Amino acid sequence: MSESGAPRVLDDAVWEEVVEATRGMAAPCFQCGVCTAVCPWGLVQAEPVSVRRLVRLAQLGVERWGEAIWRCTTCGACEALCPRGVPVSEVLLALRQLAWKRRSVPKGLSTMLWAVHWDGNPWDQPPSARTAWSRGLDVPAFTGEQEILLYVGCTATYDRRSQKVARSLARLLGASGVSFGVLPDEPCCGEAVRVVGQEGYLAEVVEATSRRFRDAGVRRLVALSPHCFDMFRTRYPFDGEIEVLHSTELLARLVDEGRLGFAKNVAATVTYHDPCYLGRRHGLYDPPRRLLAAIPGVTVVEMSSSREDALCCGGGGGRMWLETEAGERFGDLRVRQAEEAGAEVLATSCPFCVLCLEDSAKGLDGRLRVLDLSELACQALGEGRGDS
Amino acid sequence: MIPPAYGPEVASGLWVYLEQEAGRLEGVALELLGRGRELAAQKGTALTGLLPGHQVQDAARVAIAHGADHVLVADHPLLAAYSTEAWTEIAARLILERKPETLLLGATPNGRDLAGRLAVRLRTGLTADCTGLAWEEGTGLLLGEVTGFGGGVMASIKCAHHRPQMATVRPGIFPLPPPDPRRAGTIEEVSVALSPEALKAEVLRRVRQEGVDITRARVIVAGGRGVKGDFTPLTELARLLGGEVGASRVACDLGWIGRDRQIGQTGFVTRPWLALVCGISGATQFTVGIKDAEQIVAINSDPDAPIFEDADLCVMDDLFPVLEALIAELQRGTP
Amino acid sequence: MRPLDTVVCVKVVPKPEEVSVDPETRTLDRARARSELNPPDMNAIEMALALRERHGGTVSLLSMGPPFAAPYLQVGLAMGADSAYLLSDRAFAGADTLATSYTLAKGIEKIGGWDLILCGEESSDGATGQVPQGIAEWLGASQITFATSLAVRADGRLVGEREIRGGHEVIAVPLPAVVSVKLGVNEPRFMDMERRHSAAPVTVWGAGDLGVDPAWLGFEGSPTAVGAVWQARTRERRREFLEGTPQEKGRLLAERLRALLAL
Repeated sequence: MSESGAPRVLDDAVWEEVVEATRGMAAPCFQCGVCTAVCPWGLVQAEPVSVRRLVRLAQLGVERWGEAIWRCTTCGACEALCPRGVPVSEVLLALRQLAWKRRSVPKGLSTMLWAVHWDGNPWDQPPSARTAWSRGLDVPAFTGEQEILLYVGCTATYDRRSQKVARSLARLLGASGVSFGVLPDEPCCGEAVRVVGQEGYLAEVVEATSRRFRDAGVRRLVALSPHCFDMFRTRYPFDGEIEVLHSTELLARLVDEGRLGFAKNVAATVTYHDPCYLGRRHGLYDPPRRLLAAIPGVTVVEMSSSREDALCCGGGGGRMWLETEAGERFGDLRVRQAEEAGAEVLATSCPFCVLCLEDSAKGLDGRLRVLDLSELACQALGEGRGDS
Repeated sequence: MIPPAYGPEVASGLWVYLEQEAGRLEGVALELLGRGRELAAQKGTALTGLLPGHQVQDAARVAIAHGADHVLVADHPLLAAYSTEAWTEIAARLILERKPETLLLGATPNGRDLAGRLAVRLRTGLTADCTGLAWEEGTGLLLGEVTGFGGGVMASIKCAHHRPQMATVRPGIFPLPPPDPRRAGTIEEVSVALSPEALKAEVLRRVRQEGVDITRARVIVAGGRGVKGDFTPLTELARLLGGEVGASRVACDLGWIGRDRQIGQTGFVTRPWLALVCGISGATQFTVGIKDAEQIVAINSDPDAPIFEDADLCVMDDLFPVLEALIAELQRGTP
Repeated sequence: MRPLDTVVCVKVVPKPEEVSVDPETRTLDRARARSELNPPDMNAIEMALALRERHGGTVSLLSMGPPFAAPYLQVGLAMGADSAYLLSDRAFAGADTLATSYTLAKGIEKIGGWDLILCGEESSDGATGQVPQGIAEWLGASQITFATSLAVRADGRLVGEREIRGGHEVIAVPLPAVVSVKLGVNEPRFMDMERRHSAAPVTVWGAGDLGVDPAWLGFEGSPTAVGAVWQARTRERRREFLEGTPQEKGRLLAERLRALLAL
């Protein structure tokens, strides 16, 4: 072991607190270090984040984890390879819970939580502007009659770039004749709350949001963002009452069933970036690729790391609300991979990925465009249907 | 009703509080003299300036040149720097003695510090941070126009039975009147009884104009990736508009400008009156830092730039030629 | 140094962008508006809690408002305040700055034993920024307005940095004192969920509890009255595009900026 220095006396009270918070999840770790080796921070920093050491500290109940626990994007790259099946990001989120108790939290995260509390979204935007993204489009309010609740999510609702993704998705659903609606008072899924380690407050959000869905009579929910999707599919107590799909799952299904067809050629070499919360978290590698393959004219290329090995965009785990120094952004590496693969379009299917990757692509001064799959598919719908 | 110190039947005259710093009148004090002159003429009453300070005789003459008929100078070495206690004491004594009908103050930090305290000492009504002043038809009461709810709602407020009717007025609302150095007026030195023991507050340090604080700028000229590393035209534009230069995260990342000017989610949240956004696409992470600006102007060459959704005035074109023409035009006739 | 007992005055306000004026009745329509704790009041609570960490003592919350304000005070308790008091009575309604500051001062006197009163610099609804100074006058306390930071000096004096026009100053005043806190000077800590589930109840006092003359309260006690109310403008951005060559657009923009800024 490399933890050097004076011998350390273990504090039983802290140990108990840590074990309780981590619910013993760190216990199976035998310190092989594969997590540290695959953590993407090692690609952008001279000194990688020692994930192995953080897990060890969690086992021992020693509070020396410092700011490193806030770096985790919950990308799950380490978990995919951990021989002991340790849910590493869950361990780190548990340590974040303790950091809140110690009031040792990066600037900006409390503000984000207050925005969720007062405004119902983590972007500090007015609740009254929830439906502004759909201006000029025929997007009905969900009445309980429609087949599907389209869950837009806070980022695609408010962020101007991501609104284009929401508009494209709504057009695709419209074109396929699916009956869908949105909640004009769509409640926040609480993903941002969960990943900053606020499990207690998350319970409040989950309860309120579940109640809203129940009252609205939701039976099938399609989430635009993989982050919201992950929340609803695995962390909400729906007990099978609500079927949860990601938009790419639904779109691929509509293509398979012949309900969604593409008339227009989109001549472009496209590579697909797997969002962590679709790919590694839910194994959804193929539906997006099926959708991509259905678009006429598209040549698909794969990047040097894809599917299980896909590199994270850097936006998960609450990092969207924290500063990442220039030169330390995973997106910079990812867009270079896309270029090396010969892609003209870097397609993905997550608002965080679009924002992070586009930010990095702008720095390339190249021709690489970053698009959500919905946007790309929308271009193939034919004349007059592209988003203006 | 909380009983007034005195009522309308004994009150007369329009007073303006003359806030000064080191003997120089604040801009809003001059603006109030300009508007006060008009309001006094409409009522056929005199305009009196209330001027506490030390060695402020020159300021009294400036006040007369800007419209005051009469200036009450309260001069004392203990009045060299503003303090709530001394100012409230002097103003309350003179007002209770001379019973003006109306008292106007500038809504500067110190003007508001004084007004709120003084109004309670005088047991009278105060209309705060007015954006307009007029006499109500028929009653002759002062109508103060105020905004609330983040500027979305406006209201007029009046004070029927208590005197003086007090109002603070937002700086920059009324035009600066041109001075007339030949204007006649009287300066009256009033006695000041202050002892150092009576003043409990001590001023330890006072700093005006230091460093950059973009959160307080009235105008912000912000640049992003589109300025391609060259903030020179933006700096010149900010100078011409009396504002500060701001920047997106990217521009700071690339080292084009200091972090003390970064606007947005991980930078500063600003509330300028005008934000001129140059070559910034307008992601939410940036726009949360300017969303409360009264006016937003966006210049961007990308027709799809989301910033246009958040702008009042949009210029879709190459940044530098537009800036060049804009600056040349603003420089004409400006020193 | 002895511990510091602080009262933070807070207000529950409707979210500004959700309030409008009913064009028919010309009255405020706040029916659909969500409420929140007035933003600078959150900064005042944070400042009070930080001072308590340094000096010990207690933090009490005080608000005047309708009964629905109580859950919002619970938010402040979950942040870490020790107790909360709500002055709630129909007689308090319609108060202007004079009657409001009087009522709050009476509430503070009833809480008793305080060293420091903190308030947000102004409320987002009324936006007068005059109530803290009024409270200070009713209580005969020192005041520091528009404060950006506070500390208690070894001699027991309160030292505050405050905004002045075009800069700032640092002043020291004796306690007890009333301080108005600038918006955004700190990051208010989020609620502690354990406290949220176990916080003390909010104490509600009516006019009778304060021992005040009813004629000094609310609309009746207020010297000022609202004459008329109207909608300022739409909150939507205009999205007006300037046309022409780059040179023409630059010149056009210069004209518009001149007009906007009265250059």
